[in-house]
Amino acid sequence: MTTPTPAPKGKIVCTHVSKTFIQKGKQEVPVLDDVSVEVQENEFLVILGPGQCGKSTLLRIIAGLETPTTGSVTLAGADGVAREVTGPGPDRGLVFQGYMLFPWKTVLGNVEMGPRLRGLSGAKCREIARHYIELVGLTGFEDHYPHQLSGGMKQRVGIARVYANSPEVMLLDEPFGQLDAQTRIFMEQETVRIWQAEQRTVLFVTNNIDEALFLGDRIVTMEGKLPGRVQTVYNVNLPRPRDFTDMEFLRIRQEIIDASQLTL
Amino acid sequence: MSSSIANETTCSFTDRRPWTLRRVLKTRPFLYAVSLFCFFYGWDFLARSLGAEGSSSLARPLEVLAALVDLWDNELAELKLLGHIWASTQRVLIGFSIAAVLAVPIGLAMALNRTVNAIVKPLFDLLKPMPPISWISISILWFGIDETSKVFIIVIGTFVPCLLNAYNGVRLVEPELYDVIRMLGGNRRDEILHVCFPASFPAIFAGLQISMSSAWTCVLAAELVSARSGLGYIIVQGMNLSDPAMVMGGMAVIAVVAYGTTLLLTALERHLCPWKRKIAGL
Repeated sequence: MTTPTPAPKGKIVCTHVSKTFIQKGKQEVPVLDDVSVEVQENEFLVILGPGQCGKSTLLRIIAGLETPTTGSVTLAGADGVAREVTGPGPDRGLVFQGYMLFPWKTVLGNVEMGPRLRGLSGAKCREIARHYIELVGLTGFEDHYPHQLSGGMKQRVGIARVYANSPEVMLLDEPFGQLDAQTRIFMEQETVRIWQAEQRTVLFVTNNIDEALFLGDRIVTMEGKLPGRVQTVYNVNLPRPRDFTDMEFLRIRQEIIDASQLTL
Repeated sequence: MSSSIANETTCSFTDRRPWTLRRVLKTRPFLYAVSLFCFFYGWDFLARSLGAEGSSSLARPLEVLAALVDLWDNELAELKLLGHIWASTQRVLIGFSIAAVLAVPIGLAMALNRTVNAIVKPLFDLLKPMPPISWISISILWFGIDETSKVFIIVIGTFVPCLLNAYNGVRLVEPELYDVIRMLGGNRRDEILHVCFPASFPAIFAGLQISMSSAWTCVLAAELVSARSGLGYIIVQGMNLSDPAMVMGGMAVIAVVAYGTTLLLTALERHLCPWKRKIAGL
């Protein structure tokens, strides 16, 4: 346990995080090797890397769903004290690639799940849920079941469900990976809008360079093979909303492509 | 705003082609009618041609109906037709309920707790392959020929599908849904309450449906062996009296009543799992 140190709310610090999975037959698979990343308060940080580079595992470690083999993750709570992450908790909200909505609950039921688990009254839960359903633009769909929604709408529910629990940190694991290209761009614009309305520390994992550049304050690229290592950190000082054809946008894009040998 | 999100619209095309004779001949209700008419006419024809040669072992459809009316109006072993239907249904419902109340919680517990699983599974695997009908003789020796032995057979016959489906229902839950609950701040109790139970509901109901048809098989087998009431008794009496109309009437009533209980279960499931209602194919 690290000693409590003052830090701004929502700051994440990963120090020398390594993770080795042990598969059947005692074969060791190193997934992350000595990854150190800092996410500042209210920063939008994007982790960019191809498939199978350990970026999702890093996110799950920060979420507390996996424990690092070595190294540690600390997160500053609302009281401004950094504590080591030991397990999943409501101070971090995770948006899943596969949406992971409860099919037996309506949109409202899904979004108010977090407040209900915290034991808030029914009326208060519904009030919070309605607020975030409105924020993600799903007013009028409260009583729909997930199977009645399109992919983009499902992920809006996933985002609203996390926001309704008012976490200090938002973790998004390739949230738009299953969407078609047009809906994806639209959802990226929405993500920026929602993030600007409700400032949070955001850690966004993706394999899409354009998505990373459109969203991130900073981009951390990872090497394209296991074990995953941090390659480079890019600062993206472009005003929002960003333009996919802006010269500076394209310059950084080319720089990332050249540096990481990512193919498009 | 919302119109741009709701990028799913339902289109319905109305067919404006004229009603030709060819199309009428191809419509579903017409083909149903043709199919049923052929079946009953063929049955009647067969019964008549066999009957001409002397004693018929195949009753004509109308004779079956007449036999049922006769059973409806007149008592057989102190019970009219409704009484016999109720006698069988009562056994099915009691046995089915006992099995469901016992087997579903055990199945859930086996899936949720490794120790319970390790204790129950070998016993269960040992008894599972035994056909329920094979218990009839021993149950008569144990419980006599009254209601208890019949209910016992039904419990034995319905226990396995109830338990297996509850067990598999929990095992097949998407594991990331547990992560969702934990990320939202829930504990193990919340995982079971908000994920395990609702997620395994459809599987449990599938098990109950299988159990229900199994329960009818069992009650019939038990009544055929020894009974003074019930639909199986009607069939045995018809056999003893060499009255094929009565036997077939009993068979028809069983089919209708068993179908009715299945519909009841389906209605109950629709009421309890509204989220499944519109998923295609269910």
